[in-house]
Amino acid sequence: MKKFQLGEFEEVVMLTVGILYSEAYGVSIKKEIEVRLSRKVSVGALQTALKRLEDKGYIKSHEGESTQERAGRPKRYFMITALGKKAIEYTRATREELWSAIPKIALSPKFSGQPL
Amino acid sequence: MKNPESTPPSFFLHFFRWFCHPSLAKYVEGDLMELYEERVREKGKRNADINFSIDVLLLFRPGIIKPAGYQQLNTYGMYKSYIKVGWRNLVRNKSYSIINVAGLTLSMACGIFIFSLVSQHLSYDNFHHNPDQTYRIVTEMHRDNIGYTNCVPSPLGEYFRNDYTYAEKVARVYMEPGALVTLKRENTLTKFKETDGIAFAETSFFDIFNFPLLYGDAASALTEPNAAIVTERIARKYFGDQDAIGETFWLENKIPFTVKGVLKNLPSNTDIKSEIFVSYVTLKAHSPWLADETGGWGGIRSGMYCYVRLQADASAAKVEEVLSAYVKIHRAESKNVHHYKLQPLNDIHFNAQYGGPMGKNKLWILTILGVFLIATACLNFVNLATAQALRRSKEVGVRKVLGSFRFQLFWQFIFETGIITFMSILAACIIAYVTFPMINTFFNTAIDVNSIVDKWLLLFVLVLGIVVTLLAGYYPGLVLSGFRPVAALKGRLSQQNVGGFNTRRTLIVVQFAISQVLIIGMIVIMHQMKFATQSHLGFDKDAIVMVTMGRDSTGTRASVLKNEITGIPGVEKISLCFAAPSSEYEWGNSIRFDNSVEEVNFRTSMKLADADYLSTFDLELVAGRNLSPSDTVKEILVNETLIHKLNLQSPEEALGRMISANNGSMNGAIVGVVKDFHDKSFHEEISPILITTYTRDYMNYAVKLNMAHAKGVLSDIESLWQQQHPDQIFEYEFLDESIAHFYEAEETMLRLIQTFSFIAIFIGALGLYGLVSFMVSQKVKEIGIRKVLGGTGHHIVWIFGKEFVRLIVIAFLIAAPLGWWLMSNWLKDFEFQTQISSWPFVWAMGCSLVVAAVTVSYQVLTTALMNPVNSLRSE
Repeated sequence: MKKFQLGEFEEVVMLTVGILYSEAYGVSIKKEIEVRLSRKVSVGALQTALKRLEDKGYIKSHEGESTQERAGRPKRYFMITALGKKAIEYTRATREELWSAIPKIALSPKFSGQPL
Repeated sequence: MKNPESTPPSFFLHFFRWFCHPSLAKYVEGDLMELYEERVREKGKRNADINFSIDVLLLFRPGIIKPAGYQQLNTYGMYKSYIKVGWRNLVRNKSYSIINVAGLTLSMACGIFIFSLVSQHLSYDNFHHNPDQTYRIVTEMHRDNIGYTNCVPSPLGEYFRNDYTYAEKVARVYMEPGALVTLKRENTLTKFKETDGIAFAETSFFDIFNFPLLYGDAASALTEPNAAIVTERIARKYFGDQDAIGETFWLENKIPFTVKGVLKNLPSNTDIKSEIFVSYVTLKAHSPWLADETGGWGGIRSGMYCYVRLQADASAAKVEEVLSAYVKIHRAESKNVHHYKLQPLNDIHFNAQYGGPMGKNKLWILTILGVFLIATACLNFVNLATAQALRRSKEVGVRKVLGSFRFQLFWQFIFETGIITFMSILAACIIAYVTFPMINTFFNTAIDVNSIVDKWLLLFVLVLGIVVTLLAGYYPGLVLSGFRPVAALKGRLSQQNVGGFNTRRTLIVVQFAISQVLIIGMIVIMHQMKFATQSHLGFDKDAIVMVTMGRDSTGTRASVLKNEITGIPGVEKISLCFAAPSSEYEWGNSIRFDNSVEEVNFRTSMKLADADYLSTFDLELVAGRNLSPSDTVKEILVNETLIHKLNLQSPEEALGRMISANNGSMNGAIVGVVKDFHDKSFHEEISPILITTYTRDYMNYAVKLNMAHAKGVLSDIESLWQQQHPDQIFEYEFLDESIAHFYEAEETMLRLIQTFSFIAIFIGALGLYGLVSFMVSQKVKEIGIRKVLGGTGHHIVWIFGKEFVRLIVIAFLIAAPLGWWLMSNWLKDFEFQTQISSWPFVWAMGCSLVVAAVTVSYQVLTTALMNPVNSLRSE
């Protein structure tokens, strides 16, 4: 069943790239994740994940304009590819499937404590 | 916004740029900068700096780091291409590559050998304290001519130490060669012959010479009488693994010594060879005359050395001046006027006058030879490379069209040369490492094999590689890079554009001249050696064995043994004597002639021998009669040289006149005059000689064998000898062999020159072969057309042959005068020399012609005999 390999952090990054759509580059992705999920993201972890995703073909990148505040360095914008879309959809579908398979009772507040 | 404050820590920035994958670097750096500036604004520079550093460190992970071997956009790729193209060229022209590599390897192996040898000799005794202030006192002996000795009268050091303060340390040491050492343990007697001898040394000897002591106390070990210090090697040899300290050994079965200290083994680069050092005060028991602090002034015993280390402010000239005062005080009457000189420590190994084993000039000759060989191999390379240049004209053309500059092409060819050079160096190092032990035995050298990893040698090899690369690559590189692209691509270049034949002719001429000089030298040396060892010396040296006499306090055993040996069948004659007519052992003396009070002003050599000496050695009398048997000095024989030195008209005139020798203790009348014989090597003139009887100082039995029945005679003599001297070691030497030892240095020299001339010829031949095959391949079509038009095989061979004959003749015209001049200088070292005949020159010429003929003819003949159809059909 290892059709689409996607780690948890990778999934978060991909979804964020999707949220930001045309504005997804290193710093904006980092900030978005930090704001939305309240977790610290290091540049290293993010770049590694982006590179891995790109190597897998789930996202693609293009060079943007360079700006003054980046000491003249260009931005690199990321977009989700068709394969990437399939991958997150697949991930989502497997989750839904799993969710729907959980019996209602298992999630009812009464039984959330110790089993009988 | 862009203020200088807000730059991130440059170390981390550079580190990031260094490791980051180039395809990511600028974007990630952009992200980092953006974050950094934001943080500077919000939290201040310090905080931003720390965060930046942490980010960079967290980026240091796989995926971000560039992969190993990642190619950056720079000129390295070009070098890689140079190597690849160079290597393809080598592989394509295998025979040329092999010739080049073989020649360079051989010459560089020689270079490494010569470098190791020379640097080893230059390192002799350079590890002592303050070598610049250390001197050996030596003596010039002024008579009618000047003699030199590295020894001094024994009391000199003691007087100098007590009378003056110039010296920081004075050490006297007497080195007795060939000592008999015995160990006496519970009825068993173990005998050792120490050929390197035993040294009676003062304690200060170890202050001057840096030989560290392993056990014992250096300051006190040699103060007591009968104390000894031995090296680790000797301690192990005598006493095995047990502690040597406190053990006893005996010198000449007479003087016991107790080991008080053990030295670390002496390094190989010292001229001090003795491994047993005993206290100087014990010299009294060994040689009372040497230990006598007043009588010792009377003469010089060889082996009696005096070393000094001067105070920092004392000058050698000043010391020599004060030493001259001693001559007036202690040797006022002697006609042998001593001049004491200070010889610097770093001169001892090189000054042949004072017994230095390796003259600096020899080292120079070797160095020049090495440079010659390497130069020859480089010339070969240049020769072959320029000859091959045309083949690569298209490549050069294309490269130039694509934008190469001249210097880039030049460096490309230097690079290719570098590949060949370093391949050769590698091979040369391996060859040197493997053959050093063989070379050592062949040339009598003692190069440490481990010196191959010495840092200086490595440096030398590296420098050698670079120099050879530049030397060999410079000219071809210049020629190749100078091609005009249009001409090169159109194939319009001809031989004239690649340096022409004249350059290459010159190179071949130089090579042949070098090998011819070496051949001339080799043959002249061989002639002189043959002359020195095979001409009649004035006495019979064949089938004579010199047997060392045993030490004997009774003084009677020698004549008993002489009679016993005479009885052995196979022994023709026997004589008791001090030394053979020609020997390295000699006793110099001053004499008074004809009851004069004044000594004569020349040195005479004493030959003490019994009445059988003349007949044993077949010496010829020109006047008077032989000695009559006697135990003390009564009658004296002299040689013709002595007659001349005394200005007498005829030998007869000397008969009956009195001679007083050895300070008046030996007096006798001249009863006969012997014809001159060579008492020394051919380097020196014949000395004035006295032969007289004196039983006490006989050292040898000279035994003339009948070679027809010689078998077993030596063992018979040995068993008789051992019966008389059970506690000593039987030793003998054939006279012709010991005379051959006089020319050991020349033998070694001869071997070196032989080897090097063969190598030079070989390298020259390799170059010739390469050139000829190239020329042939250029002229294949010409040969084909000639054959079609009726040219014969030998006709075509001659076309090539006459070219080389001409070159060899030109080389000979250079080599002959040079060789003649060099060798007549060499011969000046000999008092008795051969004439330089025409043979060496004939040989040099002949050898070069034969080598050239063999090298050239194979290539040319294959082409000349080829069917012209093969060479002409393709166009």
